[in-house]
Amino acid sequence: MQMTVVEAWIEGPLKRFVVDAGAELALLLHPSGQVLAQHGFARAVDVMSACALAAGIHASSSELGRQLDGRPFRGLHHAGRTRQIFLAEAQSPRGAFVFLTVFGQESSLGLVRLYFEELVNGLAAAAPPVEAITGPALAEHFERDLNRNLAVLFGRA
Amino acid sequence: MSARPFSSILDALTRQRWVTAALVVSERDGIVVESNLQIGQSGDRVAALAASLYRKARLSARAAGLGAVSFMQLEAPGGRICAVGGGDLVLVVVAEPAVNVGLVRVELLRAVAELLAVGGEVA
Repeated sequence: MQMTVVEAWIEGPLKRFVVDAGAELALLLHPSGQVLAQHGFARAVDVMSACALAAGIHASSSELGRQLDGRPFRGLHHAGRTRQIFLAEAQSPRGAFVFLTVFGQESSLGLVRLYFEELVNGLAAAAPPVEAITGPALAEHFERDLNRNLAVLFGRA
Repeated sequence: MSARPFSSILDALTRQRWVTAALVVSERDGIVVESNLQIGQSGDRVAALAASLYRKARLSARAAGLGAVSFMQLEAPGGRICAVGGGDLVLVVVAEPAVNVGLVRVELLRAVAELLAVGGEVA
């Protein structure tokens, strides 16, 4: 399954994560739900749904953490019968991203957490200088940007 | 119930000369259940990788028709990692190259029964 990225600097660290952790699916997105990179998804509509759900879960679990513990929860793990989900915030010089991965029985939560730390470090090292950043996601441009990113990921740009 | 149910097993292992760390790890998750570590050692990293290695060794042995893995040893220039499994738990020892592997093996195999007993109580 092919990996596609909106910004080229993400590809190296994300590819290493997928290989090392044995992830089946991986998704890097902006906390607003804008997709930045994906691995393992076949359809744009699946990426769009996963991004919307991941952004929603991240926002609500962060707030729950703030209310319970005074600070947002760092990560979320759900173990299904055959597949598991790991969702966490990845801090980088370019701001916070949300990372979602799905893994099966050939991997483990320990490996995913270990290689997630390396992914965060890899993204921090690969991120272009801050001055090159484009503006933040604005509500009025959200749909346009989302469609553009999905088009880039699925080769319709 | 004790907050450190595996402490007697881990203490017995880390008392061995040249043993630098001992961990009880969940084989499925690769997460540390309990550990005796020295300052600066990354228990999470060792646990995740050793559990993954042990699990793959166990599955490989089964696929090759060799039966259950009783003892696994990884030898590297900087030291050794030894592991035995008991139920869903893996007992991992990290040691320096000079360690007496025979002695560690005996201690680990002896500890498996205790690991299963304590693991059953904890569960």
